[in-house]
Amino acid sequence: MVSLIRRTFSRGFLALMILIALLPIVWTILGSFKKLKDIVTPVPTLIFTPTLENFATILKNPSIRDGLGNSVVVVGVSVLLGALFGIPAAYSLARHVEKKKDDLQFFVLSLRFMPPVAIAIPFIIIYLDSGIYDTLTGLILVYLISTISTVIWLSVPAFERVPKEIEEAAAMEGCSQAEIFLKFALPIAAPSLFGSLVFTFVLVWNELLLALTLAAENSTLPVVAASITSLGKEVPWGVINASTVILVLPPLVFIGLLMSFINRMVATGRK
Amino acid sequence: MQKQRFVFWTLAPAFTILAILALVSVAGALYFSVMDRSLRYPDYDFVGLYNYQRLLGDRRFLNALKISAIWEVVTVAGSLLVAMFLSVYIFENTRSARARNLICLAFLAPVLLPRVAAAFIWRFLYSPSLGLINYIAGLFGFGPIEFLANPKLALFSVAVVDIWQWGLFFTVIMLKLLETLPKDPIEAAQLDNAKTWEIHAYVTMPMLKAPIISLALVKAVESLRSFDLIFVMTGGGPGTATETLDLYAYQAGINLGGRVSYASAMSILLLLITTVVFTLVWRGIRKWSA
Repeated sequence: MVSLIRRTFSRGFLALMILIALLPIVWTILGSFKKLKDIVTPVPTLIFTPTLENFATILKNPSIRDGLGNSVVVVGVSVLLGALFGIPAAYSLARHVEKKKDDLQFFVLSLRFMPPVAIAIPFIIIYLDSGIYDTLTGLILVYLISTISTVIWLSVPAFERVPKEIEEAAAMEGCSQAEIFLKFALPIAAPSLFGSLVFTFVLVWNELLLALTLAAENSTLPVVAASITSLGKEVPWGVINASTVILVLPPLVFIGLLMSFINRMVATGRK
Repeated sequence: MQKQRFVFWTLAPAFTILAILALVSVAGALYFSVMDRSLRYPDYDFVGLYNYQRLLGDRRFLNALKISAIWEVVTVAGSLLVAMFLSVYIFENTRSARARNLICLAFLAPVLLPRVAAAFIWRFLYSPSLGLINYIAGLFGFGPIEFLANPKLALFSVAVVDIWQWGLFFTVIMLKLLETLPKDPIEAAQLDNAKTWEIHAYVTMPMLKAPIISLALVKAVESLRSFDLIFVMTGGGPGTATETLDLYAYQAGINLGGRVSYASAMSILLLLITTVVFTLVWRGIRKWSA
């Protein structure tokens, strides 16, 4: 009897925790399909006639459309460049660097931890003086600090987990270093590397401060979304909810992937 | 020979780019902090340590320093405590792997949200007139609470959102860590009739000391960059009740007449604080885990 009560309680408590985790998100998604009159009610409405009006407003709004396009370009290119420069560097760091490895890794990590304001302020002056203020190139350039360092940081352990024997066997067969990297290490580490790229993508997709500071007209989606609040005198909650949903979708698509990535990191991190 | 070339060509491009960008921002901030450059006037002179000197007498800066310190303590401690409690609770009260996976997926969702999105979601929930939280509070007889407009509540209301994102995320990681722990010490403690909470307080948590410290480090540094969340939820207000260092640096450098030199001095101080904390903890981790 006591154990039954305890079990019911713990089930209830866990259900409540899941509710706390998800309800805010679900509520926002519901809100994005509501007309303003269904949002501005004294009693929250669960039953309403769904409307796509909010999404239509958003997609018709040129600044949001541009923001979305800019986000895709800036995030896409900077993550791609991050992968191009970061992954080979991570491989060499994992396999071939011994003496300076700790120093290099510390340098990479310290960049990850640099306060964005400390990057934004000097860069805004330099960008204004050199004329790349408010350009996508400028944003991509400054995002390389995050993408390259994050890719290296997360990919080194991925390469360290590749069995050394396979690479040694390949070397015996006369494969060159580049061949060993491309044909053996890269495919074996690929799932973990993909996880690290997803993580990097989410990080840059969510970035606000640098985009807010270093661009004006040509900014990314978070900046445009942050400025919607000041449209008109009545707060357009439906539209805000809809733009939140658009902002949230890409990262949430990757949730399963990130989960298996965490599993792998944790499983090999402790032995 | 061929191997050396390979190593050089893989490392050199990445580290050259990183080094140049890092040098530009650090040297740039240092240089501008001893000038009197503003965004409005491109002409400037050398002023030495004048900006730093003024910072120390700036009430608003000292307030931002205090707010940042409170923010750090509340969010780091809050996230870790939530994670420790919930992960142990889930570990003890769920048996099936499927239930655990479900919980983990739900708990991962908040941290994946862009900070701007999380900020919008909670501003909506916190709203005094149409927010869900005030509606529920109303059912229990509590009048509408001005979560974000009350200077005493605002900082903690924003901190709740941060803990909602990071506390739940850390719960997932800690749960995964608990699952990887060897069973023997736990079983030995059970044989000694130790209570469940005693086992976790004296056996499992000490075994997880190193990863918990790294989580604390990640969170401490991450908390220093909560600009997005605070900017969208309160804009630093009401008054300066939620204005942290990065918010003030942004305001001073961009909005208040673009005093970029003053903001540079502030970001150099912020950089110093971050570096000292980060280096100390990094050394600590390596000592403990070695």
